[in-house]
Amino acid sequence: MEVDVAVVGAGPAGSTFARIAAQAGLEVVVFDKRKELGNPVRCGEGLGVAEPMREGLELPRYAYSVEIYGAKVVAPNGKEIIMRNENTRGWVLERKYFDKWLGELAVDKGAKIYAYHRVFDAKKEDDGVTLSVMDENDKVSHVKAKLVISAEGMEALTARKLGFPTIHRLYDVDTCYQYEMKPYDHENLIELYFGNKIAPRGYVWVFPKAARKANVGIGIGAHLITGQKRGGLDGATPKVFLDEFIVNNDQLKEASKLLDFGGVISVGAPIDRFVDDRVMVIGTAAKQVDPIHGGGIELAMHAGTLAADAAIKAFEKNDFSKDMLYNGYEKPWRDSRGAELDLRLRLRKALEALSDDDLNYIFEAVSGNELLDVMAGNVAPVVAKVLKGRPSLLKVLGPLVKG
Amino acid sequence: MIVIDHDACIFCGGCSSVCPASAIELKGTRVATYPEKCIDCGLCVKACPANVIEMFKGIKRVEDLPEEVRKKYGV
Repeated sequence: MEVDVAVVGAGPAGSTFARIAAQAGLEVVVFDKRKELGNPVRCGEGLGVAEPMREGLELPRYAYSVEIYGAKVVAPNGKEIIMRNENTRGWVLERKYFDKWLGELAVDKGAKIYAYHRVFDAKKEDDGVTLSVMDENDKVSHVKAKLVISAEGMEALTARKLGFPTIHRLYDVDTCYQYEMKPYDHENLIELYFGNKIAPRGYVWVFPKAARKANVGIGIGAHLITGQKRGGLDGATPKVFLDEFIVNNDQLKEASKLLDFGGVISVGAPIDRFVDDRVMVIGTAAKQVDPIHGGGIELAMHAGTLAADAAIKAFEKNDFSKDMLYNGYEKPWRDSRGAELDLRLRLRKALEALSDDDLNYIFEAVSGNELLDVMAGNVAPVVAKVLKGRPSLLKVLGPLVKG
Repeated sequence: MIVIDHDACIFCGGCSSVCPASAIELKGTRVATYPEKCIDCGLCVKACPANVIEMFKGIKRVEDLPEEVRKKYGV
């Protein structure tokens, strides 16, 4: 088979790319290794309102579970701060339906999606990239594309085969476990619980869902897991920490677990290049993930739109060079999102260096509006305020304000 | 090499994401491992949120695994 563009992965990044590229008249095929788009879910399912709005999409009712009006962050000592503004509005999705919806939109525009097709090899030639694809019956076929998009998420094996440094360091991933639980009564806020005893180098999240359900999950620094076996919390796995959190929570300890799943989340920096001749890497495959909360859907969709614009231009000029794709996709991405994600990474590194006592102090000193400022990138005033009361944190918080 | 408890595996891809040797892949509905590529680094064991991976250093072939291990994991 010969095509204009082959996309690996039909998640939010790949399907967004495919929709826009196909709408512009490009011949686009998308391969996804899963039997069903969006399933199995490996996600906390939170999404801010910004992204679909940016693209002029209206989220169908079946693609989300509940609307979210803000966030509640909880200190190790139980002190709560509630954050609520336009930027904290959003949804807890039904990823299964959300991903399928995005895939269907791409198909409506003329893209062709192949589920249960696993891309296992990629070879670059002068006039295209040939992908080796295995279907559900283990039958192998070869697809030659003028342009290949890696939108494969965490594993990013195709991108790896094409020379991109997509392997994750343990220090830069959180290993995560999550239950869907019921009943849980909530206030349409996402809840985040911090503390070195609760979730070392990470947090516990409770994302409300419809019908008194909630996604209750945990992410902890994968490098902190020292012992292979369970027993005692030291060196334990995320599931052990999550179970401990649940038995200590008044509501959750009585609730039923309806589903459990897990995964790893990238919380490091994006890879150092997103493009090569005839290849673009987008979304989580390029580690475009928020290092603070591990969210990647919004970033993935944004990268999908930028990369699709770049692809359309590349076909107009019949130029698929690294430079062409860099100027069309990577540069605008770095200009618009690079600084923001870099600050988030520095915030994550500061957060992981704080003791529970420091965290408790900061939660006491800082208001919800000030936290919203920090999340919006205006860090200096809050850092100054905290340092005034606790100068010993200079070394940890200093890097947040420089540069 | 590593051995995966496929019954307890949640098929999340954490192991393959951190494997520096491309010795693990999500394949169909199962995690495939390539013992000949495995470098016994143990990163997958640490990253696995479900704690279902066990590593056997220095062993390259399923046949060389201890009898009780092969029985336990059905390999």
